[in-house]
Amino acid sequence: MKRIILASFLIGGLSLPADAAEVLRPANQRFASTATAEVPDLQRHVLPLMGRLGCNGRACHGSFQGQGGFRLSLFGYDFKMDHEALTAGEHPRVDPKKPVESLILAKPTGTDDDHGGGHRLDVGSWQYRILLRWIEAGAAPVDEATSAKFDRLEVTPREIVFAKTGEKAQLKAICHWSDGTAEDVTPLCRFQTSDEAVAKVDATGRITVVGKGDTHIVAFYDNGVVPVSVMLPVSDKNGENYPTVPTPTKVDELVVAKLRKLGVVPAEVCSDSEFLRRASLDITGTLPTAEEVETFLADKSPKKRVRKIDELLERPAYAAWWATKFCDTWGNAESQLKNIGPRDTLVPEQWYNWVERRVAENMHYDDLVEGVVLATGRSSPDQSFDEYCTEMRSYFCSKPTADYADRETMPWYWMRRNMKKSNEKALSFSYAFLGVRLQCAECHKHPFDQWSQYDFQHFTAFFDRVTTGYPEKDREKMRAMMVSLKLDGKKIGQKAKDDILRAAVDKGMNVPFDEVYIARSERTREKDKSKNDKGKRVDASRVITPKVLGGDELVDASYDDPRQPLMDWLRQKDNPYFARALVNRVWAHYFNVGIVEPPDDMNLANAPSNAALLGWLADEFIAHDYDLKWLHRTITTSRTYQLSWKTNATNEFDLRNFSHAVPRRLPAEVVLDAVMTATAGADELAKRSNDPAELCAIGMSKGYTRRGAGGNYALSVFGKPKRETPCDCERSNEPSLLQTVYLRNDEEMFDLIERNDGWLKHATKGMKRPNDSALKARDDRIDQLASRVKQTDEKFDKNKDNRHRAKLDDERRRIKSELAKLEAERKSEADAQAAATTKAADLVRQAYLRTFSRQPSEKELARADEYLAQSPDLASGLRDLLWALMNSKEFVVNH
Amino acid sequence: MSNPRFCDGFRRRDVLKVGVLGGLGLNLVDYLRMAKAATVGSDPAANDGTGNKPKAKAAIYIRLGGGPTHMDTFDLKPEAPAEYRGQLKPIKTNVAGMEISEQMPLLAKCADKFTILRGVSHTLAAHELGSKYLLTGNRPLPSLEFPAIGSVVAKELQSPDDLPPYVAIPNSYQGPGYLGLPYGAFSTNTTPRMGQKFSVRGISLQEGMTIDQVSRREKLLASVDTTFRKIEERSDVLAGLDEFSEQAYAMISSSRARQAFDIGKEPESIVQRFGDGETNQGALLACRLIEAGARFVTIQTGKWDMHEGIYTRLEKEIPALDRSLSALLTTLEERGLLETTAIMVSGEFGRTPKINQRGGRDHWPRAMFCLMAGGGMKTGQVIGSSDELGQGPAGDAIAPDDVAYSLFHALGINPHKEYHTNTGRPVMISREGKLIEPLFA
Repeated sequence: MKRIILASFLIGGLSLPADAAEVLRPANQRFASTATAEVPDLQRHVLPLMGRLGCNGRACHGSFQGQGGFRLSLFGYDFKMDHEALTAGEHPRVDPKKPVESLILAKPTGTDDDHGGGHRLDVGSWQYRILLRWIEAGAAPVDEATSAKFDRLEVTPREIVFAKTGEKAQLKAICHWSDGTAEDVTPLCRFQTSDEAVAKVDATGRITVVGKGDTHIVAFYDNGVVPVSVMLPVSDKNGENYPTVPTPTKVDELVVAKLRKLGVVPAEVCSDSEFLRRASLDITGTLPTAEEVETFLADKSPKKRVRKIDELLERPAYAAWWATKFCDTWGNAESQLKNIGPRDTLVPEQWYNWVERRVAENMHYDDLVEGVVLATGRSSPDQSFDEYCTEMRSYFCSKPTADYADRETMPWYWMRRNMKKSNEKALSFSYAFLGVRLQCAECHKHPFDQWSQYDFQHFTAFFDRVTTGYPEKDREKMRAMMVSLKLDGKKIGQKAKDDILRAAVDKGMNVPFDEVYIARSERTREKDKSKNDKGKRVDASRVITPKVLGGDELVDASYDDPRQPLMDWLRQKDNPYFARALVNRVWAHYFNVGIVEPPDDMNLANAPSNAALLGWLADEFIAHDYDLKWLHRTITTSRTYQLSWKTNATNEFDLRNFSHAVPRRLPAEVVLDAVMTATAGADELAKRSNDPAELCAIGMSKGYTRRGAGGNYALSVFGKPKRETPCDCERSNEPSLLQTVYLRNDEEMFDLIERNDGWLKHATKGMKRPNDSALKARDDRIDQLASRVKQTDEKFDKNKDNRHRAKLDDERRRIKSELAKLEAERKSEADAQAAATTKAADLVRQAYLRTFSRQPSEKELARADEYLAQSPDLASGLRDLLWALMNSKEFVVNH
Repeated sequence: MSNPRFCDGFRRRDVLKVGVLGGLGLNLVDYLRMAKAATVGSDPAANDGTGNKPKAKAAIYIRLGGGPTHMDTFDLKPEAPAEYRGQLKPIKTNVAGMEISEQMPLLAKCADKFTILRGVSHTLAAHELGSKYLLTGNRPLPSLEFPAIGSVVAKELQSPDDLPPYVAIPNSYQGPGYLGLPYGAFSTNTTPRMGQKFSVRGISLQEGMTIDQVSRREKLLASVDTTFRKIEERSDVLAGLDEFSEQAYAMISSSRARQAFDIGKEPESIVQRFGDGETNQGALLACRLIEAGARFVTIQTGKWDMHEGIYTRLEKEIPALDRSLSALLTTLEERGLLETTAIMVSGEFGRTPKINQRGGRDHWPRAMFCLMAGGGMKTGQVIGSSDELGQGPAGDAIAPDDVAYSLFHALGINPHKEYHTNTGRPVMISREGKLIEPLFA
């Protein structure tokens, strides 16, 4: 295959300093005087200037309806359309015969006072002169065939660390063109700050720092987007004055290198119990059990954290949870996988199991992705339609005879209903595997990235031949099968049809299955057609050739599978997105925000908060052959991951530089599992930890994935993504009223707390205190008996009749024995009560370990004791305590 | 600290905050606090800056899921051939010239209280897409999930602290979309039925619990939940959890919500008036909720997808709808709430004008009906029309966007207001809608 060059991604970052002698002076100098003879260029000067003046903005002439009868391409870059808009139509905006009267001069200068956009341009200014000179010289279009192409934009300085507010700095931007020419385009750039509270920038590229922190100033010119890092340290503890901070790993070194510049001192390392809770929740989506917490806290080994991480990565819950995360990104949506096979409910499970098995085996990420990207219905190219249908039957009959996860590839990704069109495939693909949002470029130039509609269309072309359905050559067989099933030509409802297909499959008959396949290329097809229709010429230019994002060269479309060069491109070591997108997403999972944030928006203007860190992680991930466990281990064994959420004066406002842990609400599945784990009895805990994929919400538990209106109520309330839209934002970890109402007052919660096989029932069994009136009755009876003993004693003493005395003695004995029995009962209960009080303290500890994953403090123990003492009985007191713990922030956030 | 910008110069941090809260520059916590102090959210009766003087303070949306036949309910074609016009005949109503199905005698007597929109039209013939269209008032896009109309209302209009602003009976087909979880519907999960005990998850006290016990437990919670005290102010998540916790306690411990949901408090005569059917008592519950101060109630039904044997099924469904709708209009009016409560009734599409071989009608988005009532809208009229065979609009079509637009207008919510989605994309509440003017003439 042809080598795909990624030149345009390297804009700015690696450019060499330009030789000053060759660089054309800036336009504001060259066009300052009326004497200039220079003819400005539409692409290089006129359109950038109009972009800077705001003409092609969304609210102005960039609007799809235009404005005042004049429409420019939104955010530019459609030179043909813009040239036509300016020069053609009923009311051309330029008038080469009377250049000064041209509307693009008259309107923004206020000469023609009917401009909705107001005064934008001064008559006689250099900007005015650029427009005027261009019109005077004939308002030439951009000759896209011959004109030099944009090469790169170089902006200096690359990074500015300021010392105090009010300081200023000037940016300089030089554009390099493919013909070797270069021009200082500073006055033609648009500049923008990413955070006005830190730094401002004016139209000339002059930066003023206004507040502490770090941000980027982004320069835009033509297709160039270059961010410049700008900082004002938040404390005097920076550079030389920075305290000694341990940096045991490369990750820590890179994080602290940035913090040092910023004067931000990281938090202390978190406690062992915080570490265990955090790592368990993040790596396995599961709370540690009470027992595990106690064991870990008792372990005195200095290596216990590293060992725990290794242990967690080997657990089935790791695979269950990360398979779910991949299914999120790749769009394993039940709603989009309907009408596949006679039992479509199995499809999401097959997809999930396929991924889960591979995550458990730690398959290399690139290989894992390849199984999805290059997936086809047929297991091998020479598998016949019949063989294919037989294979599928083995997965879809009532008792499947084969395991879908054994398949080499997993085509369901391509079979989704919201993936039918090429553009949908392109959006989903770039989102899932590149972390790039192309949506903007579908309709207009991306406002903050290099992508134009041209790029989008050429990228989309990779997917034109990826087809779902029945390949042309097998349609006859498919129809024959339908005939034999008596399903041919009949109008029949989907349900009735499914019933027939299911019955057939269960009886061992083949039924037709649609599939993912690669249609013949348009070119071949057109060629065949032209052979048949002699004389008709084929317009080959109609077919758009695939081109990878950011690549310079078109990919030959004659591949058997056009996805192959795409996959090869993903694997190229210098692919700018593939590895970065994954390491950034994984990082975001552990730190609440990505190095690029949001993690699925890797556009040029959205600069990473720590470029060195992202670059190192991505490079090493590739160097380690895309080893996922290596990545998880590298991140979680860093000191940076293990920092406390307790902030200091320098880092309390930092949310982007990883200087402390950030409390975040547990993801939907994890909340539900945490409630189950906190309330479960021993047997259930063991079962769940052995088979989380099958039994837990972090996996594919039936209890949580049932079909129907909203699926599982609690999961949807806590924001489990439906996986229908290509956006990481589909998963929501925001708090809401319904979540709180659920945890506080939903029957489901009460049932879980008090379930028969649960911890609470078991722990408080037989500890029910008899009710007060029964106790009082017994006390009264004892008193009564005691006084009767006394009375009988007196009577006995007084009575001289032996017969009577014997009777009295009998009676006395009877009363005494009853008394003794009751007193013994009372004493044993009192002993039990005393033992229960001791045990209660232990149960309180257990409740804390089960929910907060830590021991309660003395104060917390005392408070809980007091509550239990005032409760009608231990069970109800403990129930309330467990309820209160699970409704605390410390339970529902990872911290 | 670094805050990258998005489309139109919005920064991520703004987006996180404003994206949810629309242009106020507030984070969620600020918003909740201010909402409590009654300083944000439009006053339902206020002028929205467009010269609109809205009367509606709340709304009810009755969703006839599955797509009700227009040909047999509110848009009959007695002149059409038999295979089109079907078995039902039109009857006169108390509004001259306005005719509806013979199976709706009760609605015929109060036709002055609603308006029929005919020739409402779109092109999405699948349940899911059609529903999304009608429920959001925006044509669905693959890259963006629009919020349900109710979510927008919950966000824009203020409501009492101890009552959920947006209730779905039993649930909502459409979520809060890009507005985010805080604006989702409070789902009852079950629909009240005559003669059956009805309770709503989360609202009722746990069996055997008294208010005293609940408040004792609340104190325990306050004493247990102290770990993050020092940093709560600076964390959106922690402060948000606190705010919602207070609100949930208010809702559970005050009697307002419980009273509102306690449909057993209604006199027998009212219960009988609403009758029994899939949603009839649900409509009564909606009435009570609106009375208590809820801003938006959705009633969801799903029985209208009649691909076969349509007339047997209509025999049951039309009279039930006739009864519940007429009872709703009458009861709201008796309680002085009709003028301030806008009502919209619709499915996701109409059904094929021509009856199919199985005696049913299939999906037909090109022509459908909607009903609008209350909320100060002009009623007792038919707006728009379908062609002779009920196949498409005759003349200008009414788009689903226009219906939602008009509902927002009735509520004093500016449909042109722009939100930013969580990806920073600017979106108007109604992207394409326009006002159905005769509703406000």
